[in-house]
Amino acid sequence: MPDSTQDGQQPLTGYRVLDLSGPLGVYCGKLMADMGADVVKVEPPGGDPMRHIGPFAHDKPGPDSSLYWLHFATNRRSITLDVTSADGAALLRRLASKADVLLETHQPGLMKSLGLGYSDLSDLNSGLVYVSITPFGQTGPYRDYKGSDLIGLAMGGYMYVTGWPHTPPTRLWGSQAYHTASNRASIGALLALYHRLATGQGQHVDVSMQEAVAATTEHVNIYYAYEGTPAVRCGFRHGGRFVATWRCKDGYVSITTHRQQAWDDLRAWMAEEGMAGDLMDEKYNDTFVLRGENSAHIEEIIEKWAMRHTRQEITDWGQARHYPFGPAATPVELLENPQLQGRGFFVQAEHPGFAESVTYPGAPYRLSRSPWRLRTAAPRIGQHNARVYGDELGLSQEEMARLAGAGVI
Amino acid sequence: MAAQALDGQYVLSGVRVLDFTWVHAGPAATRVLADQGAEVIKVESNYALAVVGGAAASTPYGLGQRHNWNAGKLSFSLNMRTPQGIAMAKRLVAISDVVAENFSGRVMARWGMDYESLRRIKPDIIMLSMSGMGRTGPWRDYVSYGQTLQAWSGFTYLTGFPETDPSGPASAYSDASAAMAGAQAVLLALIHRARTGQGQWIDLSQFEVVCSLLETLVLDVGVNRRGEAVQRTGNRLPHGDASPHGAYRCEGDDRWVAIAVFSDEEWNAFAQAIGGPPWAGDERFATAHGRRRHADELDRLVETWTANHSPEEAMHLLQAAGVAAGVVQSGADLADNDPQLRERGLFRQVPDAQGVLRTVEGPPYKLSLTPGGPLRGAPEFGGHQTYVTQELLGMSDEEIAQCAIDGAFE
Repeated sequence: MPDSTQDGQQPLTGYRVLDLSGPLGVYCGKLMADMGADVVKVEPPGGDPMRHIGPFAHDKPGPDSSLYWLHFATNRRSITLDVTSADGAALLRRLASKADVLLETHQPGLMKSLGLGYSDLSDLNSGLVYVSITPFGQTGPYRDYKGSDLIGLAMGGYMYVTGWPHTPPTRLWGSQAYHTASNRASIGALLALYHRLATGQGQHVDVSMQEAVAATTEHVNIYYAYEGTPAVRCGFRHGGRFVATWRCKDGYVSITTHRQQAWDDLRAWMAEEGMAGDLMDEKYNDTFVLRGENSAHIEEIIEKWAMRHTRQEITDWGQARHYPFGPAATPVELLENPQLQGRGFFVQAEHPGFAESVTYPGAPYRLSRSPWRLRTAAPRIGQHNARVYGDELGLSQEEMARLAGAGVI
Repeated sequence: MAAQALDGQYVLSGVRVLDFTWVHAGPAATRVLADQGAEVIKVESNYALAVVGGAAASTPYGLGQRHNWNAGKLSFSLNMRTPQGIAMAKRLVAISDVVAENFSGRVMARWGMDYESLRRIKPDIIMLSMSGMGRTGPWRDYVSYGQTLQAWSGFTYLTGFPETDPSGPASAYSDASAAMAGAQAVLLALIHRARTGQGQWIDLSQFEVVCSLLETLVLDVGVNRRGEAVQRTGNRLPHGDASPHGAYRCEGDDRWVAIAVFSDEEWNAFAQAIGGPPWAGDERFATAHGRRRHADELDRLVETWTANHSPEEAMHLLQAAGVAAGVVQSGADLADNDPQLRERGLFRQVPDAQGVLRTVEGPPYKLSLTPGGPLRGAPEFGGHQTYVTQELLGMSDEEIAQCAIDGAFE
């Protein structure tokens, strides 16, 4: 087992990221911050609007009690800056001349109109990696269209196929279009940084949420391109093979009979309990039965049987035979999950104003030598103004007082 | 002045990836590397194909998956059940930068190819191990598909409408997300190696990837002890007052438009764009809170308008007024009717080994200097035997013949 603590350097230690992003890019900033980058969140004076997104700790709204902010702003530093003012834009240019990455999610053209576009800043700092995430990208007829997570799922093709035939197309829980846009942007940013290590040259990374979602559906595009008909909604009874979720005694359970043996064993188990109906008939031998014309009949038999068992019984039976069965867990069960606890997935941090430490989801990947780390909890508004503007940028006390008085910082 | 894009320059040219991955998450992760010029050698075997049921080529969809996940890679057919197969794999490790695998449990160790062993062959090797549950912990040997992990994480339970069974995501979101995470992890390790000279081992649990995307759920359950109260909310957001917010039925068969209104300003623009019907002036809808509270009624009324429009008409009309709206696009809409995706070139036509053009997805991010992207489809099974054995491994004709007789390439 490689020693994960032999040195402290994270992969992005030493990189400075200026983060001007909203919900479209906040996860990208988190990914980079959690892997060691010094991500400075540039908040408008008065605080970032994301501080007002719920849920809130103990349901009390406030800039330091948004659990959304706490979750996404880990490992950040915070400065306040009104980039729409001339003084503010000038200050951002000075910051950008010393930064490695700039991350922004404004509508196309806005940054340029402030003199803060990619070409403006790359003139000052040719190594700058400038990441723009927008609903539809920087080019094309829809570039100025507005978007949200819901619109990204809709236009990207994930929503049309999610849900049941009798329900409207359905969004994924959470804000997965935003997450996907950020995940793709992170890949783009890391590629650009790797390129810069070799050449010293930065570049512009242009990410469209719609494209990010459209390239992440697994089957929507490929099914249409190769089968000639669009994929449709089928609830939790998935795809070609026997991949499905079922109602059972205490909730729902996911059953995948990925091999013939698994399907035969499952039928035999049902038969032992006298619940297999005519499923042992050889016309149902194929594991693709759920796609056939008798699917309603088969579903009825399986559901009747499953209702006699708990999620745990069915899961244990399957996993004992190395079949991919698992319960549909409810949120309250998540924090108790033995595997997540056993691997130490959840991490704790103290947070000013909270009586108890706060539990966060942990690393999406474990690098043995340069690991993910929760170094600091989310910052207060402008918590690092003095440090960043004074110590690092060299502004005098008087200049900072003047800018604060003018509402710039 | 910003530098011009350099034709043919690939960020990862010179990086070699020995790729043992199969099924969705693994190949989709290494596809990201291949798009940017890494030489990805897909190690395949007839024995492994038999296990996946040969699905790769048995249906048109299976063929599509093979191309989409493996575009631009090389294929080397190698039988790891033979000592020569293992020996050749280890010689390839010595000239590779990254080894990727998503086998269950102890397969790599059985071949003497766990990280510690690989490190002795190539000290700065980067090894990506992707698995359902991770390589440690009480459930490390559990078997899972994407849907299993979505169920276990809570995604299945929480996706859908409160009054119906949950649906969960339509496909393996956990695999797709694990692929993005796997690619990031390798890039982070490559950056670390470029800065320090060190390689490392990446233990990626697809379950943890999905759980890291649960957003505020963990904090909400932990801080507010709200577990039982977190339930499905259909197309409405669980927090805040966005409304109307959902998919609304339009003219046509199973055609829908998604609309997301957050602020009063957007509501006023929306009401005006749809022609200011009397119901839009209803006092109950005057504030965001009121609209959210009466969302059932509001959704019904919004649908009286959308029902008389195609989703495209509704989207253009609402977007012109500054309201976030979008067609709920099917696979056909994405490929045939979307001028935005067409202009940005998401879908690529690349030649397979026979020169037949195949549709694959391009990289969904545009790098101004080094755009990358696939140049060819998936390789044929064992399509690069000569290149790997002769050019990379420098094997003699006799050696190759003996390995073939011993079944090392099957």
